[in-house]
Amino acid sequence: MSLDNIDFFELVKRVDTDKMGDFIKYDREKCNGCGLCALVCSFGLWAVKQNKAKLAVRYQELCLECGACAEICEPGAIDFSYPAGGTGVIIEYG
Amino acid sequence: MEKWDVVVVGGGPGGSYAAKTAAEAGLKTVFFERGRKPGDKNSSGCGLGQRWWKDYPELMEELQKLPSVRKVEMVVINLIDEHDRLRYRCGTTGSDLCANRWPHGMDGISIYRKDLDPFLADLAVKAGAELRTSTLVNDVIMENGQVRGVKTEKGESILAEVVIAADGAMSTMAKKSGMRDRWGGGCTLVPQLDFGCNADKMDDIIGNAEWCWFGPLYGTYQVNFRDGFHIGAGQWLRSDWDEKPLEMMKKVVKIPGFQAMCRAVEAKPREYQAHMLPWLKKPPKTYTGGMMLVGDAAGFPCPLEAEGIWHAITSGKIAAETAAWAISRGDASEKALAEYERRWKASDLGKEHEFGPEFVDLWNSSIFDPKLMARQIQLLLEFSMLHPFSIVFDWGDAHMDCFNQHLEHILDLAPEFSEFGKTYVAPLARGIWPKNVKRILLKVKPKIPALRRLSDENFFKVVARLSKGLAPYLDPSIRQDAPVPRDVFERGVRK
Repeated sequence: MSLDNIDFFELVKRVDTDKMGDFIKYDREKCNGCGLCALVCSFGLWAVKQNKAKLAVRYQELCLECGACAEICEPGAIDFSYPAGGTGVIIEYG
Repeated sequence: MEKWDVVVVGGGPGGSYAAKTAAEAGLKTVFFERGRKPGDKNSSGCGLGQRWWKDYPELMEELQKLPSVRKVEMVVINLIDEHDRLRYRCGTTGSDLCANRWPHGMDGISIYRKDLDPFLADLAVKAGAELRTSTLVNDVIMENGQVRGVKTEKGESILAEVVIAADGAMSTMAKKSGMRDRWGGGCTLVPQLDFGCNADKMDDIIGNAEWCWFGPLYGTYQVNFRDGFHIGAGQWLRSDWDEKPLEMMKKVVKIPGFQAMCRAVEAKPREYQAHMLPWLKKPPKTYTGGMMLVGDAAGFPCPLEAEGIWHAITSGKIAAETAAWAISRGDASEKALAEYERRWKASDLGKEHEFGPEFVDLWNSSIFDPKLMARQIQLLLEFSMLHPFSIVFDWGDAHMDCFNQHLEHILDLAPEFSEFGKTYVAPLARGIWPKNVKRILLKVKPKIPALRRLSDENFFKVVARLSKGLAPYLDPSIRQDAPVPRDVFERGVRK
């Protein structure tokens, strides 16, 4: 893998992404369309369309579980909780 | 319904050390880890500094034997300019004068969490605590405004005399108990990229050192393990973010000097991670009725450089000791658990946070300001040229001319930093110990003809009367080897 062209997605290990549950909850009413969630997400799971944020449908397969989207959301439209025990990202070299 | 003396949420360093301490105190203790094993869900810089030898020598004796460990005897700083050129490399390490304070030299260790976390959890289990893995605790049980226990995702309700929440930066326990919603700007996001390397080549080229890459567009740590390293680049989560975390990572890996190092140690990208790291001026409230927060969940990471593992286990220990004390008195109310805050504030943990606002402001407004950072690098390079070793090698002109040209550059650049110095550096002077201020003043005393005949004691009295700024340091009743307390200083300034 060349350092100028790293495939970051390939560098994340995961287990049982189908059992993670719905750990990011989004309240469209509260969203002000600022787009900060899209900016802080490593893997581009948020997009802003018509002044409202939209979360990727199968976000469990891509999410790094950092919680930055919820932390930076000023109006509190995003709620992050940890995914189900024993599922999701596995960190081997943390 | 299950009932325990202490329920600890989280099997990271803070949780495991709290569980160990509680079990050793004879309390019936259970701790929960959402990963399949401790360490499964954790990434961090994970350098354990010299103070570990002072506070936890028995742990360090064992930890240093684990497979991923690399010793840290030096920190190497690589300064990169805005054109990605490596301009300056220097290292920090202790001199022999530090030997009393550091019986093990400057040595710390770097260790992967897959080694550290299971080791600490094991200690807790050996002490008698029960560990439940692959179990997410996702709610608290509240009664009359006090935490009485927790609920797991499997629908179990578990009661406890005291809950210790060690569930990380995005603490569910803090949120569900109503202690906090978000950090409100005080949290950083840290993307980390791990590389696998040739361990022998790392020994030869990197040695026993941590590295940093500082430039106007990135402030990046490089933590070196036995056969790999990771780089991390934290940023405060603020509304003025202008770039994705991955873009910053890509900028760092493009530095030619970084790539050269990667080639030399045969570094291959191995894992990408991202985690939240509270980097606060002051931890918010760390307890409520029936529950205490420890480690990242409490916002304890160091306000100067955001290391948080020593802070996690130290707060875990204090929380568990407080739990034992509260349970023995039969009172774990909010009022009783205020004892936790009193105890950590009186410990080294509290000392670390005494200069929290000054430390955070200093970083936030220097390393994280690209324009200032670019100029700062120029200034540092000019200073470095006045270093006795450097001036010898400036052959551009006659040596004294070279010296004067560098001096002129510094004088030209200095005004740009006067505001910065006044606002962010000068307030740190409050931390200088009174006895050191006195030693400096005594150096000046012989140069002031009108005062040099006075006794030292009377000389200090005169200086205190002449200078409102110096008066607080010279108050004879003040402790000599500790910073002047904030309130004394403010009172002195007002006077």
